[in-house]
Amino acid sequence: MTLTATNDRNTVSDVQPTPGTGAAGLVAREVCAWFSGRLVLEGVTLAMPRSTVTALIGPSGCGKSTFLRILNRMHELVPGAQLAGSVELDGTDIYAGRLRATDTRRNIGMVFQKPNPFPAMSIYDNVLSGLKFSRISVSDRDALVEVSLTKAGLWNEVKNRMRELGGALSGGQQQRLCIARALAVEPRVLLMDEPCSALDPTSTARIEQTIADIADEVTVVIVTHNMQQAQRVSDVCAFFLAAENEPGRIIEAGPTDVIFGSPTDERTSDYVHGRFG
Amino acid sequence: MAIATETVGPGRAPLTPATIRNDRRKGDRVFRGFARGTGYATLVLLFLIGLFLFIEGWPAIHVAGWHFFTTSGFQTIGKTKHFGVEASLYGTVVVALVALAVGTPVAIATALFLTEYAPRRLRPFMIAVVDLAAAIPSVIYGLWAIYELQPNVVGISGWMSRHLSWIPIFKVATPQVNASLFIAGLVVGIMIVPIIASVTREVFSLTPPGEKEGALALGATRSAMIRRVVLPFGRGGMISAVMLGMGRALGETIAVVIILSESFFISPHILQSGGTTVAQLIAVHFGQGGRLGTQALLFAGLVLFAVTLAINLAASAIVSRSRSGAGVDL
Amino acid sequence: MTTLAPTSSSTAAPPLPPTPRRIGAPLRPRDFGWADAGILAASLLSSFLLVWVVFYQVTLLSGIFGFLLCWYAAFLALYWVVTTQVVDRQAATDRTATVVVVTGAFLVLGIVAFIVGWVTWKGVGHLHTNLFVKDMSHFVPADRNVLHQIGVLHAIVGTVEQVGIAAAIGVPVAVTTAVFLNEVGGRGTRIVRTVVTAMSGLPSIVAGVFVYSILVETSVSRYSGFLASLALFILILPSVTRTTEEVLRIVPGGLREASLALGASEFRTVWSVVLPTARSGMITASLLGIAIAVGETAPLIFTSFGNNNMNVNPFHGAQAALPLVLYDFVRQPQGALIDLAYATAFILLALVLILFVLARVLGRQRSTSGALRARLRSVLRPSARSGGSENPSPVGGRAGRPPLEILTVSPNPKEPLLP
Repeated sequence: MTLTATNDRNTVSDVQPTPGTGAAGLVAREVCAWFSGRLVLEGVTLAMPRSTVTALIGPSGCGKSTFLRILNRMHELVPGAQLAGSVELDGTDIYAGRLRATDTRRNIGMVFQKPNPFPAMSIYDNVLSGLKFSRISVSDRDALVEVSLTKAGLWNEVKNRMRELGGALSGGQQQRLCIARALAVEPRVLLMDEPCSALDPTSTARIEQTIADIADEVTVVIVTHNMQQAQRVSDVCAFFLAAENEPGRIIEAGPTDVIFGSPTDERTSDYVHGRFG
Repeated sequence: MAIATETVGPGRAPLTPATIRNDRRKGDRVFRGFARGTGYATLVLLFLIGLFLFIEGWPAIHVAGWHFFTTSGFQTIGKTKHFGVEASLYGTVVVALVALAVGTPVAIATALFLTEYAPRRLRPFMIAVVDLAAAIPSVIYGLWAIYELQPNVVGISGWMSRHLSWIPIFKVATPQVNASLFIAGLVVGIMIVPIIASVTREVFSLTPPGEKEGALALGATRSAMIRRVVLPFGRGGMISAVMLGMGRALGETIAVVIILSESFFISPHILQSGGTTVAQLIAVHFGQGGRLGTQALLFAGLVLFAVTLAINLAASAIVSRSRSGAGVDL
Repeated sequence: MTTLAPTSSSTAAPPLPPTPRRIGAPLRPRDFGWADAGILAASLLSSFLLVWVVFYQVTLLSGIFGFLLCWYAAFLALYWVVTTQVVDRQAATDRTATVVVVTGAFLVLGIVAFIVGWVTWKGVGHLHTNLFVKDMSHFVPADRNVLHQIGVLHAIVGTVEQVGIAAAIGVPVAVTTAVFLNEVGGRGTRIVRTVVTAMSGLPSIVAGVFVYSILVETSVSRYSGFLASLALFILILPSVTRTTEEVLRIVPGGLREASLALGASEFRTVWSVVLPTARSGMITASLLGIAIAVGETAPLIFTSFGNNNMNVNPFHGAQAALPLVLYDFVRQPQGALIDLAYATAFILLALVLILFVLARVLGRQRSTSGALRARLRSVLRPSARSGGSENPSPVGGRAGRPPLEILTVSPNPKEPLLP
């Protein structure tokens, strides 16, 4: 399935914004973040390789979610938020001014902690909403909806109720609808901010399955508080920690089995074994 | 798999946030500009109201000078020009005060009923009733008041004038007690109940449940809890709700015109027939008195505008400074 | 608690499933029993008799209102005294306060019911087909038979046109202003919000004289229905803006974030997500604003002026309107005209009521999810709002005022990018 931009407003004048399709690697370099002048994240450098699942773990308030939101320029929506550093999507710095915020976000999708389907739209329209927003036309909408919902593991449950409102689904279904919605624009990276924390164990399992299924096509970065989940779904793991009155930093990052099996830092070891946090 | 992990020590050169650049699409810039322009247009509108009334009304002040505020009457044609708003301002204030005296207790009781007493299923209905009371046209209030309310109220007026005449304001010079400032104020008081009630209700509903439960858990009765928790919490909001109602009462026109028989005589006896308000002056004498008359009425309109604007601004300032007002817009 | 005995038929060995416990009727703890209701009723009755004797037999007063007032005062005093004999003083005060609060609320209910019922009672009897098909071009006030010769069609047409134009200008402007206040944000929101608030208390007569003063200044055509629309627009604008802003405010910030995260522009986010989500609430806000505008009389005196003849062109010449016609009838208290006034008042009130009911019904329509609908409702009926916003999202919502203030960041050249 190919997406074609029909509206010239979507093309950026100077540089072609979207180099290629398919999963893309993401590299953050020396990322710092402030809220109202207070430094909350300092010098975070992390590579999130193409077609892998990267889990960001760490106790509450250590800057994981802030970091995640920096990766697709959602951070700047918060009044008083500032940042420094760079984030490269397959070598293109998303903060360098070549990509607009809207283009960046279309390439780097996001799923939120709380399911947030658009309540005024049907399930069908919810899936297509990203395309509608970007004025992208697609040859076969029904097929795209089916493919997206299938990837998100929701198709069988909703195929006969496409015209119902998104809000009529259960919480777990809503979250999978949000994943389908994010996948429908064919993002190259998908960011997930504790996508399962508001859900029951069954729904959580479904979503973990979905993550495993889509990891080939899209690079996944997931924030989670659940150690087992991080272990189950991720290939790479980064442990964030903020000491008292200090900004959050990455303590250790590496392949998941290393982080959980033989971490080099004592604090990582303590955290992944549930001794604090 | 190469993972770059680099922690930055706190001793490094001070970090500074990156500079901020705007990369909005043209469409979004147009959208924001349009919305902002529309918002600012309301400022312009308010300014224009004051400006036009001032420009068009000023010639009357040019003729009358500041005696405009110390003269009662509306004689703008002929050799002796005698016009001003003194009696009208007096009547306006009296009507508003009577209206507040009548309307405030009822409105606050209604608001308390809606937030603290009403059974769950009755509440939406009662709120709709209060909203409906605000939507009933003032001309219908006037019609109802002159045919239903006044005939039944003159009895009270008469009784008060006979038995309470030792209170100066209840004395009457003539035995006629209909079409008085008191009855006009009574009608306006009924009309402002929904405004005061809905703002007060909103403020009361923001009372922290914890404080209410704290009082109840100490064994307070419901009325004691309301007196100790809800009313103190909502005081700022109540004051501004009352001021808002006062602004509405000052500007009420049609119901007052229907009830009150015009008289430019300033009298402290509010039960006595006759009186005038600024709004009534404008509505009744519109089209009379030639060019100067129009100018005088427009200036009277400016006075009314300025007074109500000042009261409304003060009300919103009070509510936004009070503890309960943080989440309330008037 | 009693348990249900197992039925005798099952004598077999297999362990019985846990026997269902008999669940009693839910307890309803009350402090107010039949005895208390008896005291209430007795107080009502005895105070009624007492006041009746004093009022009519001794002081020879008149007027039902005076009687009710005295009865109520006597009842409160009696009720308090009697209750203190049964419970303690605090509880007695509490019960008396309850009675005061309840009567306050029911007084409002009573007055509204009285007015609506009275206008209907008086008006329906004088309704006549003529009212809806004729105008007042053959109007002779002294004519006893006036009811059969004239109608208020011209006023209905005038009101519909004037209010229609006012709403057609006012609602889009109000929604745009609300979008500015709640979605765009930034400089000027504070003062615009303050001014909108102040304007919502603007006396309607001031809106009328303002439009008239423009007319004097520019000396274009004299009165017209369009000028009335302008005055009504000034009155509709603040109320619809405020309610719409209130409705936009409860659209969860998460929806805006979700939309932006999909790469939507700000305009798209507002147009395709925020406004549709808030649609039913905005419809209610608009209809309530229009319902109030329908009944405005004072501004019309200076703008559309009134006209006994049919004038369908709102842009040229004086035009009648329902409240204006009613106002004229009320001021000419001759027998037949009063009947006409009742009938007109009924038509006007019916129009307001229809809009009012429509606003309520459409506000309940199924266009939003259950949770959001509940919150919409709680804003439109703010008494239920004490729960407050549980949505800490930085985009939109009460806390983050300038929600779409999107800033772009470019890397700091001073910082080394990679070690």
